[in-house]
Amino acid sequence: MKGTIFVELLNMAEDAFGEDVVDMVLDKVNLENDGAFTSVGNYPCSDLVRIVTAFSEHSGISAEALQRKFGHWMMDHFSENYGEFFVGKENSFSLLEAIDGEIHVDVKKLYPDAELPVFETERLADKQLKLTYSSPRPLVEFCHGMVEACLDRYDEQAQIERDPATGRSNATEFDIRLKT
Amino acid sequence: MNDTPNIADDRVSRRRYLRERAARHEAEQLLEGKSRELFLANQQLSDYSAHLEEAVAKRTVELEQALAQAEAAGKAKSRFIATMSHEIRTPLGGILGMIDLLSMDETDPAKQELLKYAATAGMGLSRIVNDVLDFSKMEAGVFIFEEGHVDIRALIESVRTLSSASEISANREIKVDIDDSVPQILLGDATRLRQVISNLINNAVRFSTEGAILIRATSAPHEKGALLRVEVEDFGIGISEGGIKNLFKDFSQIANPLTAAAKGTGLGLAICKRILEGCGGKVGVESQLGKGSTFWFELPVEIGAEPESNTVPSMAQEGLANILETKRVLIAEDNIVNQKLLLSYAKSMNMVPQLAKNGRIALEMFDPGSFDLVLMDVAMPEMDGLEATRRIRMKWGDVSMPPILALTAHVMEAVEEEAALVGITTILSKPIPFEELKAALQHALADAGSNVIADIAVPEAVSPSANRADVLSKMTPATLTELLSIVSEEMLLILCKNTSPTHPSECNRSSVRLQIMT
Repeated sequence: MKGTIFVELLNMAEDAFGEDVVDMVLDKVNLENDGAFTSVGNYPCSDLVRIVTAFSEHSGISAEALQRKFGHWMMDHFSENYGEFFVGKENSFSLLEAIDGEIHVDVKKLYPDAELPVFETERLADKQLKLTYSSPRPLVEFCHGMVEACLDRYDEQAQIERDPATGRSNATEFDIRLKT
Repeated sequence: MNDTPNIADDRVSRRRYLRERAARHEAEQLLEGKSRELFLANQQLSDYSAHLEEAVAKRTVELEQALAQAEAAGKAKSRFIATMSHEIRTPLGGILGMIDLLSMDETDPAKQELLKYAATAGMGLSRIVNDVLDFSKMEAGVFIFEEGHVDIRALIESVRTLSSASEISANREIKVDIDDSVPQILLGDATRLRQVISNLINNAVRFSTEGAILIRATSAPHEKGALLRVEVEDFGIGISEGGIKNLFKDFSQIANPLTAAAKGTGLGLAICKRILEGCGGKVGVESQLGKGSTFWFELPVEIGAEPESNTVPSMAQEGLANILETKRVLIAEDNIVNQKLLLSYAKSMNMVPQLAKNGRIALEMFDPGSFDLVLMDVAMPEMDGLEATRRIRMKWGDVSMPPILALTAHVMEAVEEEAALVGITTILSKPIPFEELKAALQHALADAGSNVIADIAVPEAVSPSANRADVLSKMTPATLTELLSIVSEEMLLILCKNTSPTHPSECNRSSVRLQIMT
């Protein structure tokens, strides 16, 4: 998993809980690299889960809630640092639809070895998008948070329902209906 | 000893921490930038290589096509040359023959003179045609050298005789001086040697008006056997230094103030050069403007067996002499003159000939029990000789077959392959001299049952008079009278003269005239 996720997770934690808490939690988790992550490195996803779990234990906030919050955080991080991905995207649907075809293509250029999740989209109606997220990693909540943040970014409100995709493991369908 | 570092020493300032963070961020950005550049460079590289492979593949296809085209063109060219050599030389021979016939009956001196001009012009044309054909063959890579025993003295003498006989050099003295060092018999291509020497002599005649023409031959030791050097000297107009440079180039000619006629193609010396270089020799000239020229060539040759050995093949042939007697030969030939000639030849060999006027008739007449030999002309109406041979073999299957020999006026190499396909290994070139035909038939009978190609001993450059009594006396009086009613005695003699069978390029008078028979 890309280092930038870890770096930003720790940034978010620092922001939420303070530096000392982050130091303490990292000490507790006892990571192989002692929590020295760089955005250009690659790290095991299990480390991410362990860190999230540790923060959850420390704060009493559920791991799911933390993941979702982190989704929001990452969306902000992306829009601050990778503005080029957002150029020409007029609404949340067009951004979500561009993840696989544009954004991930570009990521692969920089990091050919990156293992990226897949985002399939299908416009069921003008204001209804089916987004199928598939990844072997247990980060559905993180994805959910990103979808919410994306809607927020465009000042859109939507009803989001999600279900495991039928007949496929490691895939989740998001049914996103925009509210008028 | 205090192992625990002071806490104050252990801490870094916030400013320093932020600086380090910023530096790391920058480093990461730098790395990402480099990664992107690397990616783009890689992409360009793989684009190039994909392009390169595409270009190479495309070029390869183009080259393969070009090669196939060139090969096809080469084949077409060879075939064209073979056809042309037959198609041009045959009517030309016919024209010259007709002129010959006309001049025999013509008593009016004025008309005789006109006919003489026509004959001279015709022979000039024939020389040009032969030059061009030779040159095309060289260009097409189908010019073939053959090695045989050559008596260079006899060869030069025969070229001299023929040159002296021609109109243009009638009053010129041609002197021959052959050094004792020159081996009696050497190994080489007699036809080509004759062509070169006669070309040099013709040039000498054409580019000088008076004075003798000297032919000299000497020999020096050489690792191959001997280095033959032949010189032809004239005392004519000579060649300037600048002219010598281009002399041996294709189609080059020097201005000849002596004669406006019979200028030729400018290929003669180029052909000589190619012939000599093809045999490992070289050609050159020493000349002084206004004084004359000496053309020379040098050719490394192997020394042939001593002259005594010449008697061996003839003895062997004597041993074979009886082999032809009473043998039944089927002659398939459509040309009336050739029919008469071959029939009279066969009779003088005491053979029993039967005639088939074309391939179809030959196929009908043939029966393995009824004939000991078959002589098959290649080009015949209705069914050609190769097709007839193929059908005969099909019809009679495994039955033991008499030898079938092909006769052709085509360039032999052109027919060889097709002939081999129908099982003919001996191909005789028309017009065929008597002795040569006899030897071939003898060998074919002697070798009957095996597929060995008859190794025909061809004594080179026998002087024309040698055969006279021989040949004509072997014809029945009736045949002789009949033949003489068609052609002159001189021409009959020329027909019987022992010339090499493979000399489509022969430039002398006799071979041109022989074409009337093909």
